[in-house]
Amino acid sequence: MIFDPFLDLFRGKAVTIPPLDGAFRPNTRLDEADVFSTLSDADNLTISNGRLIASSGNGLFVIEAGKEPVVVETFDAMVTAVAASSTGELAVGLDTGHLLISGNDVELPGAVRCITALAFAPDGALWLANGSSEHSPSAWASDLMQKGRSGSIWKRHLHSTEFKLIADKIAFPYGLYPTANGVVFSESWAHRLVHVNGIDGSRKTVLDHLPGYPARLSKAAAGGAWLSLFAPRNRLIEFILQESQYRRDMMTEVPREYWIAPALASSRSFLEPLQCGGIKTMGIHKPWSPSRSYGLVVRLDDAMQPLDSLHSRANGARHGICSAVEMNGQLFAASKGGDCILALPADPEEAH
Amino acid sequence: MSLRERLQSWRYNLIPDHLVGEILTKRWTDNAIPFLALVITVATFGSAIQGFFKLSSLQDSTRQLGEFSIVVTGLTVVMLGGGIDLSVGSIFALSTFAAVSVFFIFEQPVWMALLASLATGVALGALNGYLVGFLRLRAFLTTLVTFIIGRAIFDILVINFAARIQMSLASSEAWDYIGDGTFHGFSISVLSAVVLAVVTHIALTRSRPGWHVLAVGGSRRSAHNAGIKVRQTVFMTYVFSGFCASIAGFLLACRLSGAGPGTGLNLEILALTAAVVGGNSLGGGRGSVVKGMMGAIIVLVMTNGLIRLGYGTGTNQMVLGLMLAAAVTIDIRWLKNRHKVLNEVYVAPVYLKMGETQSAVPGSGTGYALNDRLSQTDFIGLSQLEGPEDVILDRDDHLYCGTRHGEIIRFFAPDYNRSEVFAHIGGFPLGLAFDRSGNLISCVGAMGLYSISPKREVAKLSAETARSWTSVVDDARLRDPNDCDIAPDGRIYFTDSTKRYDAHDWALDSIENRPTGRLLVYDPKDGSTRTLLDGYRYTNGVCIAHDGRSLFFAESWACRVHRYWLEGPKAGTAECIIKDMPGYPDNINRASDGSYWMAWLGMRTPSFDLSLRHPAMRKRMTRRLPQDEWLFPNINTGGVVKFNETGKIVDTFGDLSGTSHPMVTSMREHKGYLFIGGILNNRIGRYRIPGADETWTSATSYWGTTP
Repeated sequence: MIFDPFLDLFRGKAVTIPPLDGAFRPNTRLDEADVFSTLSDADNLTISNGRLIASSGNGLFVIEAGKEPVVVETFDAMVTAVAASSTGELAVGLDTGHLLISGNDVELPGAVRCITALAFAPDGALWLANGSSEHSPSAWASDLMQKGRSGSIWKRHLHSTEFKLIADKIAFPYGLYPTANGVVFSESWAHRLVHVNGIDGSRKTVLDHLPGYPARLSKAAAGGAWLSLFAPRNRLIEFILQESQYRRDMMTEVPREYWIAPALASSRSFLEPLQCGGIKTMGIHKPWSPSRSYGLVVRLDDAMQPLDSLHSRANGARHGICSAVEMNGQLFAASKGGDCILALPADPEEAH
Repeated sequence: MSLRERLQSWRYNLIPDHLVGEILTKRWTDNAIPFLALVITVATFGSAIQGFFKLSSLQDSTRQLGEFSIVVTGLTVVMLGGGIDLSVGSIFALSTFAAVSVFFIFEQPVWMALLASLATGVALGALNGYLVGFLRLRAFLTTLVTFIIGRAIFDILVINFAARIQMSLASSEAWDYIGDGTFHGFSISVLSAVVLAVVTHIALTRSRPGWHVLAVGGSRRSAHNAGIKVRQTVFMTYVFSGFCASIAGFLLACRLSGAGPGTGLNLEILALTAAVVGGNSLGGGRGSVVKGMMGAIIVLVMTNGLIRLGYGTGTNQMVLGLMLAAAVTIDIRWLKNRHKVLNEVYVAPVYLKMGETQSAVPGSGTGYALNDRLSQTDFIGLSQLEGPEDVILDRDDHLYCGTRHGEIIRFFAPDYNRSEVFAHIGGFPLGLAFDRSGNLISCVGAMGLYSISPKREVAKLSAETARSWTSVVDDARLRDPNDCDIAPDGRIYFTDSTKRYDAHDWALDSIENRPTGRLLVYDPKDGSTRTLLDGYRYTNGVCIAHDGRSLFFAESWACRVHRYWLEGPKAGTAECIIKDMPGYPDNINRASDGSYWMAWLGMRTPSFDLSLRHPAMRKRMTRRLPQDEWLFPNINTGGVVKFNETGKIVDTFGDLSGTSHPMVTSMREHKGYLFIGGILNNRIGRYRIPGADETWTSATSYWGTTP
């Protein structure tokens, strides 16, 4: 109507998020999956010499079927990222901002303080994602609430000791997937995957409007990648991100675990925020209700477009999936919010 | 408190934003735009034209206005009935001719002239009505045809008889008096217009035929289904319109003593514009005579004013056309968007800084620290019940509860496996209490205070109280009666939680947080209901103290419990005895050890407490997010808290996982067990209280051992 431009000034602007549809259609496959191993705060998974390595708290663990996790190594700070090279070297990032390769402290540029992901390219180069120049990985919620855009991507060539800045001003890079001429990284606060060229630094968004906050990427055996999304997008949170005054007050006055912010697990304390749709009614917690946490792993094709996804919905428990890797036809997903590692058939057709 | 917060609290607590929404709920706001247009038109032409308000000038305009508004009143009724009458101009002209010819040519008395005029109008109206009402032809085309034919007949008659009328010598004092005289300073046409308008208004708003017209206009099919004679009603509206046009025609005949080719020319367009500009909907069903009158004044002042300012007929027609277009557009847009505007502005949050609270986290060491004891209940009616807000037991140990289907369910002792519908009330039965003679008294959400006798007869006790002086929306009606209790003298004390929202919208009330909760008392002796206290943030549970001298009531959104004195030196006053709790209190009931049980419907969260200090943020939240996404207090965890006469917390019970009893709205102790209800739960819990008196029942506590 002709009055619309005028009336729009007085209308509320709806806050919207991408729907869970198409390849993201909800299912309960993560909740139905077998627990491969119970491990509290299971975070980053990697495969080293055919062994499944998981980071949890200050330690690295070897995970084998039917056995308790075995400690590989412990550190004096929380492990925030781990990657294994083709020769079996382990690169480990710590919450303090240190990087250890095969146990040796590696000198890093001063700007790198928040190692969120590590990946070895097939040529032996090491890619490093620095989530933020202001916050440590464990303070990711603060970075989101301050709308941080200070992340960067670094690369070290095989026989070099120097890390080179490839891209910066990124809203929390949280996953790396090396390609022939560069790397695909997940830009968490921008809900997208971006490809950056390793030589000229040119960037191209390959997947946008994700329904969650993307975390780590890993190679799928049949081509393409596995993408974990550690938390869902939520309209209330998107709204709070536009409410500067409230957000500032919340960050100063409310303990971080009770913020209106994405979470790896929710409904653990009555001090957490609750949304109207999340109210338990007649003994039911609606699976489609808005939630601060969710479990979501997405299978991407060669062009990084979604093919299929695995979910743990609002009423499920396998939330906060930060990493998923494929080995021997099995997909392993680390649920940081659900304190376990899940094993599923990697081939989606087989699963159905 | 920072300056910003102080400004916020002034802005949102002192400026009554909520009145905007409340005023918009009124039907009379539909009149606002036409009224504004009226004021602007009169003011503009009044100041632009010298002597506009002079008596002689007004006298002449008002005669014309009188005739015109009579025609508009008739057309308004047709439009309210869902039709349209384009033939009013030709009926008007033919009636004028009928009157003058009877008076001047046949030299009959004035009453005969009037009768002839009315007969012409009613006959033509009946023709329209028959074609549109009974034969169901299109109103627009039908009346267009009668307009053209009527006009043609008039033109032929005028050419043939004008000379004879001019030459007639007939005269009558009555005729001249109607045409030129005044009665107490008012012309006859103005007086007849006023009388007709008043009668029509009363008929439309307060009589059966009037309601039928509005019903048919609002929805023809629904009216038919409701048993209204639709065709006859439509027929009558056209007859009425013809009748009105003929009265106006007679008045004109008296005023001008003649009829010419210009009589009634373009009248249908003027009348239609007036009716629509006044705010009568073209679609029917919505409008009033007053609107028609306002439109008549606007149009007449506008056209006469333009002529006196020297503008020609073309300009005049153009302005009329533009007015009609604007009115139709505004009418449609307003009708379509009014509820949206209302939705956007109705929720008007206020600023509130909640007091610091003690922690209820398990192991925090405070008196409020919750535990997991409520997860160990036996379930009664699991998945058979929906929404037992309150539970109560009678002297035979049977268990009663309300459900969201408006029923009172009775579970039979001793195992509570069998159940029956004890009574159906409707609404949402909430608080329950037994009186001395065993009647079950219930606060029914969205309805009022009801009583169910042991023979299952349902009787309404109260649904309203006195209206407060400052209310915009009538607050006499009880919107959310929540809990009740009965004093030893038989008076029923009960709460009405909010005046702003209906019972099912209580979530909105927590977002808004405006203090509108009341404590009321119903006196069974004379059936009266009085408001005792007003202005609390969601009054909820009520419990008469063990000694019967005071009562406790919960103020949910403020997390407080108050004591209201029934007798003694402080009678009639309330004092806060527990404040700043970490949970939101719901029902309160007596415990066997002389203390009191209180249900917590949910827990305070730091994020929600903070949002109470950001009313603008809450307002935007309600506008920009759907309700399912709104921030809420955490009502997935509730509990039961025991406090003593002085307000000290004695014990707490929680269900931290929220599996069995996420939201607890009530509890009732009976023979060593605690029965637990929840408004959003599908079960009643039964918990064995360690060490409780196994003979104690609330019935004996209230009314003694013998019934």
